[in-house]
Formats: sequence, structure tokens, C-alpha cells
Amino acid sequence: MKTLLTVAAFAAGVSALSTGAQAQDCTTKIGATLPTSVDWGRPIAEVAQFAVDQVNEAGGAAGCQIEMVLRDTQVDPKVGVDAAKALVDLEGVNVLLGAVSSGVSMPILSSVTVPGGVMQMSCCSSSTAFTKLSEEGKTDGLWFRTFATTAVQSAMGAKVAADKGYGSIAILYKNDDWGQDMARLIAADFAAAGIKVTSSVAVNDGQPSYRAEVTKALGGEPEALYLALYPNEGTSAVREWLSLGGTQNMILANSLKSDEFRDNVGLQYLGNALGTDTASPRVASADAFKTTYVEKFGSEPNGPGLANSFDAAMIALLAMEAAGKDASGKDIAASVAKVTDPDGTPVTADVAGFKKASETLAGGGTVKYQGATGDVRFDANGDVSAPAVVWKFTDSGVDEVEYLSLGEVDAFIASLKK
Amino acid sequence: MIQHLVDGILVGSFLSLGAIGLTMVMHILRFANFSHAELLSIGAYCALVFDKLFESVLPVLSTKFGPLSITGALAVSILISMAVTGFTAVLIDRLIFRRVRQKGGELSMVFASFGMALVIRNIIGLVFGLSSELYSRDIAFAMVLSRDPLLLVKPDQVFVLFAALIIMFGLYLVLSRTTFGFSLRAIAENPSLAQVHGVNLRRMVAAVWIIGGALGAIAGVFYGLSYQITPVMGRDLVLPIFAATIVGGIGSVYGAVLGGFIVGVASNLAPVVLPSGYSPSVPFLMILAVLLVRPNGLFGEARA
Repeated sequence: MKTLLTVAAFAAGVSALSTGAQAQDCTTKIGATLPTSVDWGRPIAEVAQFAVDQVNEAGGAAGCQIEMVLRDTQVDPKVGVDAAKALVDLEGVNVLLGAVSSGVSMPILSSVTVPGGVMQMSCCSSSTAFTKLSEEGKTDGLWFRTFATTAVQSAMGAKVAADKGYGSIAILYKNDDWGQDMARLIAADFAAAGIKVTSSVAVNDGQPSYRAEVTKALGGEPEALYLALYPNEGTSAVREWLSLGGTQNMILANSLKSDEFRDNVGLQYLGNALGTDTASPRVASADAFKTTYVEKFGSEPNGPGLANSFDAAMIALLAMEAAGKDASGKDIAASVAKVTDPDGTPVTADVAGFKKASETLAGGGTVKYQGATGDVRFDANGDVSAPAVVWKFTDSGVDEVEYLSLGEVDAFIASLKK
Repeated sequence: MIQHLVDGILVGSFLSLGAIGLTMVMHILRFANFSHAELLSIGAYCALVFDKLFESVLPVLSTKFGPLSITGALAVSILISMAVTGFTAVLIDRLIFRRVRQKGGELSMVFASFGMALVIRNIIGLVFGLSSELYSRDIAFAMVLSRDPLLLVKPDQVFVLFAALIIMFGLYLVLSRTTFGFSLRAIAENPSLAQVHGVNLRRMVAAVWIIGGALGAIAGVFYGLSYQITPVMGRDLVLPIFAATIVGGIGSVYGAVLGGFIVGVASNLAPVVLPSGYSPSVPFLMILAVLLVRPNGLFGEARA
């Protein structure tokens, strides 16, 4: 017993003596619940581990080496919740990365991380249900995500309509979670931009005919049509719309960015159709991520959520560094603002950047993280925004009409909320 | 309102054609054939193949008839497709359904037909791809019949309606005025007794499949002409067609025709009354409403 105490005292003495970068005799665990059993899920986990490796190379976070304990969710809410429970209760993690699908992240948030006071940062969940939950104050500020919600896309739809000067618009939306979300958001955004929504009509897929829905949408004689549909029912509905004399002024969600839709509707009718989509940022830090990714993995980071997953891990670790040793999940979550401060010292998303961030934070400063998805900044609900593009169909595919940087997108969304 | 009503009648025309074949098969072979709507897909794709073939071999045939988007090539293709689909239906019966009928019960037949529907749907997807196809990429613009109230009708749909009515009338004459028609009805009433009277059961069963397949093929092409052709069109159409059959009363050709129009009109009127997200429920509500009042359907008879 006496020896043990001596050893403990000695260890404490050593760690107290050693300065940040050399403190390697302790390990802090963080958790990750990601769908590693599906083919697109594994790279998302690998790139998160890559971020952890770089932080360890820079001396670890909050004075300790970081070990990421990874558990598979199998894209199944039950499996995901079990995995998260094990990580929080058995491994004692204060930070959880994941999950990918909104349907898995949501039960983890409500039944594991919020009750356990653990910070949860998702790379890829896009549902606006999280925003709503946060607005109701049910996330305790523990929830963050580095993936833009559908709100960006809907705001861009409103921007296109406003730029084109449409006075009234009808909405046709797919009758599923995404479509209903989209329809609700875009109707609010059109209203905020002063555009009258004549009707908002749900379209069920797999119907023999969309005639009734289209007739209903035509009813208010709108100047333009907004489409949140998938190519299959989109083709049917738009052909019906045009044949009944509907306007060719159309605004399309990114789901209709498809050659099948263009060919079957006909390019000659899509001259006035403009689409919206989110885009990857065109900034140096995003290019730098691409270069290091290619060096490490030997391929371009083209899969879904890779840049987002890297940033999620990096920001979580920066927040741990900012919160200091033995910080609780809540403390770490509160420190996220310190590392994504627009007025802070800019740091890059690599070993040197993390070292610089540690020094700045140790000196009481704040940090502006410039990551793979650009300068990440969370709003009060833990949501991020994203750059956007406006596109149109051409003979060979789609052409970009306009690129809006993150700042421009944010400014427009802010102008809608006034 | 009037627009929805007219649209419903136009949609009803191809539902009726599909329902006629289904009601005959259900009545005479006594099983719920869930693969019937796949005959529409077979017909539509078969016509698509021949349509493209004729257009490239004989460009003369690719001119359109007046305001319609139907070409000579497509008209000939419809006839070929009717024959091909009819014989495919007979072939499926010989290979699958007859064997199941001999050994299994009614429920086995239903499951066999479910399986058959999946097989056909996936073979079509494998051969033609999963994306949708069109007979003509041009959009057929609607004619304005009246400004107030606004009434728009596509020339193709008027053609489809009249063609469907003429075909149904032809079928009515065959069933009510010919020996063949009487034999069919005899088989449906009592197969054993009909055979005693010299009616060839096997030949009659084949005839039912050919009629069902041919009508299905027309319905499929008409559907493709109005909307688009996809490998899953059978899946999308099976419920409305079943609803039409049950509403009309199993076994009644006239009931099937009426049922098709009722379901068509009801689903088109649905968004006027209900939020449009709920419109797929309308065929089921129709079935429930009719069966509550008339348990055998509008024209159906109780069978011993």
C-alpha cells in the first residue's frame, strides 16, 4: 500500500513537472459511435482517427494522449444507443463523436449523452429536429454538428426566388421526413423574403398519377414552382405541370440534380430552372485537408462526411484542450466557442495548428479553427452553415451559376431572420 | 373541382382495363393474382422495344397522328405487345401457377403470385435499368376546353378514354353474344359441369390469360403514354387495380369497368378534401365503404 502511494505521488510529481507537450504518461479516452460496418462509414471513422493521431503527435489534448474508442452503430438506433451507453458508462468518456444518421444520433443524444452530461459532436446528421430540440433547451448545449442542415438549402431557394423577382410560388414536396422538413423551412423563408406561397402540396411517391397534386398546385396561378422531389416522381410531376400550362420558372432542390430528370423532362423546358446545393468551401484550409488526406489515404476525400468528420474530431479535441485537465462534458462543450471564435487567432487543422492553439489557449486567448470545411462556426443550437451554389442544367450536365461563400450564406440567412 | 372529376375519369380508363383482366382471372381461377399489374409493365416495355425498333427501321412510321403523341410505330407496337403479353401470361400460368394450383391451396397461389411479381419486376429492372423511360420525350401540352371554370385536357388522354371504351364494348359483345363468351361464363360458374358439357377447360383458362394479358398490355401502354414507364409501375398500380376489382365485385366485367372509374375519380378528388399526403389511402377507404354496404362488391354475387 505504501509503495503504491509512493508510486502515485511520484507519478503526480512527474506530471506536474512536465510541461504540455511532454506529458505523455496519461491517456484520456474519447468515444466514437460510427457505422463502421457499412462501406461509407469506415472512412468516416478512419479520418476521425487521423485527426486524433495528429493531436497526439502535437502532444495530446489537456496534457494527455488521446485514445479514440470506436464502436459500430450498424446504422441501427438500438445498436447505436447500446454502443454509446457502453462508452459513457464503462469507458467513462466525456466526449462522443457520432453518429452519422440523424435517426441514430437522436436517441443517443436524448437517452445517453444529455442524461450523462457528455458532449456529442456529429459529423453528418442533417435533420432540423436537432435544431428544434436545442431551441426547446433539451440538449443542454451538449450537441454540435459539423454538417449543414437543410436550412442552408431552403434559404438558397428563397434567395434564388428573390433574385429572380418572383412574386408568388407553389411548392411540391416529397412526403417524407426530408421533404416535410424542406417544405416547412422553405415556406417560412419565402414568407420572410416577401414571396407569397400559393400552395404547398405533398407528393407521395409510387402513385399512378400526380395529376391531382399538380392541378392543386396550379390553382393559385403561381409565378414559379419550387420542387423538393426526387427524380422519379419529379419527372412525372414536372411533365404534368408543364403539359397543363404551368410556368417554366422552377427552383429545384439538390435531389433533382440528376441526368435522368434532365433527359426525361427535356432540356428545352428547363431553361428557367435553377437548382440549389451546398458546396465544399473554396478556401485554403479545405485544400490543405485534401492534400494531407491524399498523402495519408492515397485517394481524394470524395466520400460523404469525410471533411466533416475530421473537423468534428479536431474541434472536440481543441475544446478538450481549452477546457483543461479533468474537465466535464459540459465544460468541454462550453469551450467549443473558445476554439471556433471568429475573432480568435487563426489556427490550421494539423499538428502545427494544434500546437499553436495550445499556446494561445494557455495564454488566455481564443482560437479561430480553420478546418477541412472552412472556418467552422456554430450557432446557438450547435448548427453550422455551409457555402452554397446555384446551378442550372446544360447539355452535358450541370453548370454553376453562382457560388456563395460561407459568409454570404450566413449573411443571407441572418437577413431572413430579421 | 370539375378538372379533378375529368382527370379522374381519364385515369379511371386504364385502371378499368387492368381491372377487367384481374377480375376474370380472380373469378375463373379463384385466386388473388398480385402479379397481374406486372403484365402492364411487360406490355409497356414490350411496346417500347417494338416502338424503337419500328422507328429506326421504318422512319415513315414515326410521324405523329394529329395532336396525339401516338405514332404509327407505337400503334403497331401496341398490337404486337398485346399478343406478346397475352402469351407471356399463358406461359407464366403453365410454368408456375398451374403447378401450384395442382398441388397447393389458395394461399399458396397468392404467395406464388407475390413471388412472380417480384421476379418480373426485377427482370425488367435488370434488362431495362431502373430509371424511367418514355415513348416520346416531347411534352404533350393540354388543350384548354374551358376558361371558366378552367378545364384542361390532353389529347392523348381523350384518345385513351375512347379507345378504352371501345375495347370494353368489344369485350362486352364477345362475352354476351358468342359461344366463347358463354363457355367462359360457364367455366366461372361451375368448372366440372362446364367440362361435362364439352367445354375445354385448359383452352378456356389460356383464353382468360390471353385476354387479361392483352388488356393489361393496352393499359400499360396507355399509362406509359400519360405518365412514364418504370420497372416499378406494376407495384404502383397493383393497389388501385385491386381496389377497382373489389369495388366492382369479383367476376363482374362491368363492375371492374365501373370500379376503375370510381377509384380514378375518388383518388383525383381526394386532394380537394384531404391533405394531399393522405391521397394514397383513398382506394382503401373506397374498398371499406363499398364492402360495408355490399359485401360482394357493387356487381358481385355471393358464391357457394
